[in-house]
Amino acid sequence: MPGSVKHDYPSEADDALVKWSQQGDTEAFEQLVFRHRDKIYARALMMMRNEDQALEYSQEAWVKAWQRLVQFQGESSFATWVTRIVINLCLDQLRRQKRVRTESIEAMDEESGGVERQLPAPETNPTAGLEQDELRRRIDEALGKLTDAHRTVVVLHEFEGLEYKEIAKRVGISIGTVMSRLFYARRRLAFLLQSLKRERSE
Amino acid sequence: MKNTEQLLDLQAYVDGELSEERRRQIEATLPADLDAQELVAGLRQLGTLIRAHEPVATVPAAREFYWNQIRRQIEAEQPKAPAASAALGWLRWLIPAMGVAAVAVVVSTQQTPREITLAGGGDVTAVDVSSTVFRSESDGVTVHWIQ
Repeated sequence: MPGSVKHDYPSEADDALVKWSQQGDTEAFEQLVFRHRDKIYARALMMMRNEDQALEYSQEAWVKAWQRLVQFQGESSFATWVTRIVINLCLDQLRRQKRVRTESIEAMDEESGGVERQLPAPETNPTAGLEQDELRRRIDEALGKLTDAHRTVVVLHEFEGLEYKEIAKRVGISIGTVMSRLFYARRRLAFLLQSLKRERSE
Repeated sequence: MKNTEQLLDLQAYVDGELSEERRRQIEATLPADLDAQELVAGLRQLGTLIRAHEPVATVPAAREFYWNQIRRQIEAEQPKAPAASAALGWLRWLIPAMGVAAVAVVVSTQQTPREITLAGGGDVTAVDVSSTVFRSESDGVTVHWIQ
């Protein structure tokens, strides 16, 4: 019963913490926040590329998670469930700012078949020799150079594992646009990572 | 050079998004198509690379500060919080508990009176605070005193 038994929260599994949180135990929920806050913040930062917004939306995601805890039935992990909440918040915000659906010159070029003319195919092992942390940082930099629209489909597909159809539904675009944005984004990433390799060898 | 449709088909093949029939068609032509092989290998490697090096970040705030802001919002919107259902949970327990308590009171008032032996040779039997029985074995007298 919440409050009547003192639990050793840090040593408890997510399942138990979620159960107690669903009964109104805020200490259990605080432990969940502490445990997964970096992952949720990182996802928001990857989507928004702005620390203040990432902080705000990650906190808002936790508040929504608390409000909707009774809906969590354990079909996915708790962290995945909260990640989806923060992604939806970021997508709403990007849509409001018209950052994911606006047709830029780049996007028009991409969707009219300009992709393959401009960028090279991904090269085998473009980042060989880089340290893991350095590689992670470079990939983050490359993601930051994509437009919001392109980065969003990469995040949803590569890191969230969503299928084209699900991405199309969440972003509010056609499956064809998902495919072309994903293709363009991948080639651009490959190009950027190859540029890093060239920089290193010079 | 491949057209956009062919490129997107190859990407869909890598992502496992093609129909079974289209997947078989691609696999049938792939061994003889070096460009397609290169693209497929490149897309696979890029995916593996970025998934294995997903950017990480740390919340730029102390634990207490970060949590307190969340807690304040939760408390401000308390009616929507699960605490409300927790209160209902309490009620679920409280109602049967009150029933059990009521039954216990009835049973205890119907129990055989407990006898207390007095110094003067008599017994006092207490049923509850409002009734007392005095019985003197030597005199053969029993007195019921109800308050």
